[in-house]
Amino acid sequence: MQWGCSDFLSVNPQSELTQESFPLSSSDALQATNAIYSSLRDWHYHSGGFPILDIMSDDALKGSNPNDASNTVGPYDDFTHSPTQDGLDRWWNVLYQGIRRANVVIEKVPVIPMNESQKARYIGEAQFLRALYYFDLVRAFGGVPIVIDTNPDFKLPRAEKSAVYDLIIDDLSSAIASLPHKKEYASNDLGRANKDAAKALLAKVYIFNNRFAEAESLLLNIIESGDFGLELDYYDANGPNGEHGIESLFEIGAISSDNGLGNQYANTQGVRGTPNRGWGFNQPSVNLREAFEPGDVRKQATIIELGDVIDGITILGDAITPDIERDSEGNIIAIESYNRKVWIPGLSTDTQYGHNRRLIRYADVLLLAAETLNENNKPDQALVYLNKVRNRARNGNLEVLPDITVTEQQELREVIWRERRVELALEGHRLWDLIRTKNAEKVLGKLGFKVGVHDLLPIPRSEIDLSKGTLTQNPNW
Amino acid sequence: MGIRLILVSFLFAFILVGALKPLSAQQEIRGVVVDETTGEFLPGVNILVDGTIRGTSTNTEGEFVLMTESTDSLLIVSYIGYVTQRIKITDETIYFIQLEQDTGILDELVVIGYGLVRKRDVTGAIGRIGSEDIAKTTSLSADQSLQGKVAGVQITATSGAPGARSAVRIRGVGTFGNSSPIYVVDGVILDDISFLNSSDIASLEVLKDASATAIYGSRGANGVILVQTKKGSSLDDEPRIQVSLESGLQQLEKKIDLLDGREFAIITNEIRSGSYNNVDAVPNTDWQDLIFDIAQIHNHQISFSGGSTNSDYYMSLGYFLNEGIIERSNYERISLKLNNTYRIRQNFKIGNNWTIAPYNQRNAPNVTFQAYRAQPVLEPKYDDGSFGVVYNVGNPLADLAHSNSYNNGVRLVGNVYAELYASQEWFVKTSFGLDASKNKSKNFTPAYTVLNPDGTASQQNNDYSDLYKSEFSSYTWIWENTVNYIKEISDLHTISLLGGITMQQTRSEIIGLVGQNLIRDQKDFWYILPPYVVDEANNINMVNSIYNGVDPNLYYNMISFLGRLVYSYDNTYMTTITLRRDGSSKFAKDNQWGVFPSVAIGWNLDQEDFIQQTELISTLKLRASWGVIGNEKIAYFDRFSRVNSGLQAIFGSPDVSYIASTYGRLGNENLKWESTIQTDVGLEAQFFENRLSAVVDFYERRTEDILVELSTPGHLGNGQGQKIRYNAASVTNKGIEFTLNWSDATNDLGYSINFLGNTIKNKVLAIGGSSGIDSTLIGGGLANGQRVTLSRIGLPIGAYYGYRTDGIFQNENELNSYPHLSQAGVGDLRFVDINNDGVINGHDRSFIGSPIPDFVYGFSVSLDYRGFDLSLSIQGQIGNEIFNGKNVVRPDLYNFEKHVWNRWTGEGTSNSEPRPSFGGYNFLPSDRFIHDGSYLRLRDLIIGYTLPEKILQKINLDLFRVYIKANNFITITKYTGYTPEIGSYDVLSNGIDQGIYPIPRIFSFGVNTSF
Repeated sequence: MQWGCSDFLSVNPQSELTQESFPLSSSDALQATNAIYSSLRDWHYHSGGFPILDIMSDDALKGSNPNDASNTVGPYDDFTHSPTQDGLDRWWNVLYQGIRRANVVIEKVPVIPMNESQKARYIGEAQFLRALYYFDLVRAFGGVPIVIDTNPDFKLPRAEKSAVYDLIIDDLSSAIASLPHKKEYASNDLGRANKDAAKALLAKVYIFNNRFAEAESLLLNIIESGDFGLELDYYDANGPNGEHGIESLFEIGAISSDNGLGNQYANTQGVRGTPNRGWGFNQPSVNLREAFEPGDVRKQATIIELGDVIDGITILGDAITPDIERDSEGNIIAIESYNRKVWIPGLSTDTQYGHNRRLIRYADVLLLAAETLNENNKPDQALVYLNKVRNRARNGNLEVLPDITVTEQQELREVIWRERRVELALEGHRLWDLIRTKNAEKVLGKLGFKVGVHDLLPIPRSEIDLSKGTLTQNPNW
Repeated sequence: MGIRLILVSFLFAFILVGALKPLSAQQEIRGVVVDETTGEFLPGVNILVDGTIRGTSTNTEGEFVLMTESTDSLLIVSYIGYVTQRIKITDETIYFIQLEQDTGILDELVVIGYGLVRKRDVTGAIGRIGSEDIAKTTSLSADQSLQGKVAGVQITATSGAPGARSAVRIRGVGTFGNSSPIYVVDGVILDDISFLNSSDIASLEVLKDASATAIYGSRGANGVILVQTKKGSSLDDEPRIQVSLESGLQQLEKKIDLLDGREFAIITNEIRSGSYNNVDAVPNTDWQDLIFDIAQIHNHQISFSGGSTNSDYYMSLGYFLNEGIIERSNYERISLKLNNTYRIRQNFKIGNNWTIAPYNQRNAPNVTFQAYRAQPVLEPKYDDGSFGVVYNVGNPLADLAHSNSYNNGVRLVGNVYAELYASQEWFVKTSFGLDASKNKSKNFTPAYTVLNPDGTASQQNNDYSDLYKSEFSSYTWIWENTVNYIKEISDLHTISLLGGITMQQTRSEIIGLVGQNLIRDQKDFWYILPPYVVDEANNINMVNSIYNGVDPNLYYNMISFLGRLVYSYDNTYMTTITLRRDGSSKFAKDNQWGVFPSVAIGWNLDQEDFIQQTELISTLKLRASWGVIGNEKIAYFDRFSRVNSGLQAIFGSPDVSYIASTYGRLGNENLKWESTIQTDVGLEAQFFENRLSAVVDFYERRTEDILVELSTPGHLGNGQGQKIRYNAASVTNKGIEFTLNWSDATNDLGYSINFLGNTIKNKVLAIGGSSGIDSTLIGGGLANGQRVTLSRIGLPIGAYYGYRTDGIFQNENELNSYPHLSQAGVGDLRFVDINNDGVINGHDRSFIGSPIPDFVYGFSVSLDYRGFDLSLSIQGQIGNEIFNGKNVVRPDLYNFEKHVWNRWTGEGTSNSEPRPSFGGYNFLPSDRFIHDGSYLRLRDLIIGYTLPEKILQKINLDLFRVYIKANNFITITKYTGYTPEIGSYDVLSNGIDQGIYPIPRIFSFGVNTSF
């Protein structure tokens, strides 16, 4: 420009890289890979911030006190949620943010001159995580726009559901090939994607597509590796003692702190009132209480009752939340209680942030294996894995939870589903399982679930508006 | 850096110095000035050597003495009411000068951007207040005294907290971003003037239309406020010392009407029966009484001014102390002012203007909102003196007691300049200005726990003590070089040309540190690395973190070229043409430069014969202007796609944090200047020998390519809530502005009445538009994340949206026959099904009110009678709405506003106040929370007495005045909150009452003396 001003008028961002100059080195590549995991602790990653997946299922009610978030979270409880419902856009946005972060690694890291095996691992981690994020998207919303590069069009139509699954399967297959086993990671790298987690996730993806034949070898492979097992104490399956333990295939590391290093997922569900550990959402339902067989240790490991003394701390609960709610006929419909699985010892809210949410644990693998083997007409083998899970749940008391012996396929199928429910309660599996197994209408119909509508969440209205009609809404929304 | 530009500027300065004329031989001349017709000697006549600023004035005998140089050629002899004479300097040493009385009117000079202009040549819309009006308001920042004093200016306090500034809007809200005007203090461009002592200000000129503001190009779109600080005068015969002292008391203007303990217990029992067994036995705590107090305010200064033939000075020291009406909040400022000019050659003047203002501020936590919510049935303290639990809110007294939030810093603003009077026509000026500021803040909260009655810990606690410290520093330098050319050709043509180059650089840096778990709570230990508390297991619970970066709004460079032509023909027809070309580092190369032109014409009708014949009209001017002005107030990095390096991943057993970086949100390389096209037509007139004056303006401002952040599709992966900036909106503001003034004086009585106002019609013309970006702007976030403003085409900026209510469901039948949300029951509000689809949902929320007033007005009277003076200013606005946001957010049980007492209790009992509930359905954002924001406020009332001259002479004083003053004495409004004045810098969150710090009423007493 004239007067030689162009230098004077060029001011670069301070202490910040621009996207043209990142990632360039192996250190950049590592940081870009780490960033994909960071989205897992984003509060919105957990179904938009609130445990709406469990709240929508028969396992839990909204929780907190009756007023709190009654218009935002409440509608998920009785299927009156709408395309503008709070949380949908947050979940959609953070899943795509995770995908973008994975795409940075998948697109940019291959050209960085660096150690090739490390490079392959980083890309494998990115592929695993991209698959994990798309798996949530496709289950929640159906076919969604596919973004596999860092510079997508502003207007992208929805892809077919099958195309999204193809991408997930491709990514996970590549990840299985390039990722190390969990045991090959140094102790300070535990929590990174590993070969067996990728196999378990791929198996689950197959199962969601009724491809049990392909799932079977993946699951048996994990089991036969002998690298994983069940925690002796069921509490440790989700509790702090079992973090990165033998049962954990993939979990989200978190530090007890509310300043960005923790995970608010647990705070959202933490005990409300006294002690003040959180907001108290995701209240275990009466129906869930009744689902546990007598003597099942998992019941008290799932539900915190008022008056419980845990780690020396007496649970008094919230002054406004009614201790017991009854309907007009006097039947109990809600009991103030909290999710035990996110409990971290402590008295303050910030400590509660330290819960490492388990995304894939070995009990899930065993139950998926049992289900798969039953579908593949191998009920005897299925029973072995199913009973392993039940055995731990009886906690040495041989009087309770007898071994399952039924081999009739449909009967066994239902037994396995019931076992999945109580074993994995309040861990975000139930709703998906009900929809997958086509049990949703039967079980959730009285809560408002309608098949053909609620099998999917609506595409967030804001996204449809922004797309100026390029995105179409799910049927009947 | 533009080396070439700097070279050019230096060259410029050299030429300037090189053109200096040497001091030459001096000669003393004497003379006497008389009235041509009467022969009377004229005292106080100004004698100036042409082309210089050297001069003198005649004494009481009409005599003068002056030193002249051999190069001097003309004396300019001027006197109020007389025709200015030009006398040739000859070898004579004694001059007899006769002045002819001027039958025409006076040439008053008006300050405009980069210069002065004869008032009659002004073609722009300019409002002005002088130091006497500024002194009427006791406030931190002098711009607050513009409220109700200049038409078209709206000043709204954002908070009554000590040190808080006001939101200033000139002619409506012109953009979605920063809509504040710029301030030009003695030529230095600034964002605010709260560092200036009001008493150091000579005048504030508000430049409103394009003709006046376009010379500031890209900065002028939201208006320009020119601030002239006081200067010494070489015409003063002796130095002047002025002392003024003012002290006052502040109090809460009114309390919010809330339920008392008994009423609260009754209502709570209705919601949940059995909550209180005996409603007559519950405590009754008035939390508002507990947090508000009477507080002092002081404003004192001393100034010295004077001058001699070759220099003048103004120097002052001011002290301002504002204690808050909430404990632990205050603001204290010392201001030092030094303005000097020196004539070092006969045609060369240098000068400087400096202000140094150190300040201390203490901030209270937002306890007004807590006191509003706290249940009145709870005791503030237990019997043992410890703080009582206040469920869901926290005990405001405990928060106050543990709050230690301080700011302190210093601001230095000033410039040095040189002026060369190269010839009678040419005038060259260069000025180098600086604005440097440094602010340190520290915030310490000790570890504490408020206990429940049973001795367990309540939610109000702080596990570990925390210490936050930050240091902010910024500086701007601005170098302005201008050339003026003024030429009169015959008596008919007057041409004035201005050209200039300016450069500016703004830099800033912030360092923030966090420490935790200090070993002691005392102030002596408020450092980041002191000894820490250790528990029995030798665990140190501490988190230290550091933040370091720049303030993205204060990191840019600019270069500007400017030019102006003012031409007047026969004092009757005028035109002003300005052009400014600005370059900013905030935009990428292709869009870096913006051109901002303006054209204005004026017609002094009073010069025409057909007007001159009427005695009624003394002046009459018609003017019209059009221009384009720019705005670039965005973060310096918005065009860049940046990397987010602030992420962490947690791996390992035990958990360890790993640093992580990845792509942040996308930038927009195509950003360019926002531009405002403003048209103005104005009429100025004076009647009855100038006793009545009137100014009327019609304006339209249309802002295009507004720099606005918009939502983009989620699949881009920018993350929740991340927006991208675009030039993608357009807004208009239209209105009429008027000022009427009547002033007259008899021997004993002088008085003046002023009435002014303006209308504003604000409308969004476009937002977004192209695919993939949003076409609405949602804002006004409440404490629970609900957003209550929606700006879209056809609505005003920051319009409120929510449900419309239509009474209350009186019975089951009614409930069942209307569409309703599932949570609604009998006794609840009935929301209107706006889109008639038979369902109530988010789509039934619609426009429910506007934060922008239709009419803003001011009315003031001042009179003096035999030494007594009285001044009264009323100010207000009509037609805006307030959103009572503090009443909407109710996740838990809080106290209620008194209107709840008139609740629905059965069919027919109420059709406006629903059955009571803790929160929930009836508290969804709806027109129930919209209040009329109109108000009328008796803003200033001052009564003073000045000692008569006779007594003053005896005690050797020039002036002695005492006064009493009341600010914010009475406010008439329907709004139920502390104040109807609820401003926000964020134009999308305007007028939302989130529980603000009240604006106090002030009573003060003061003394002004001068000797």
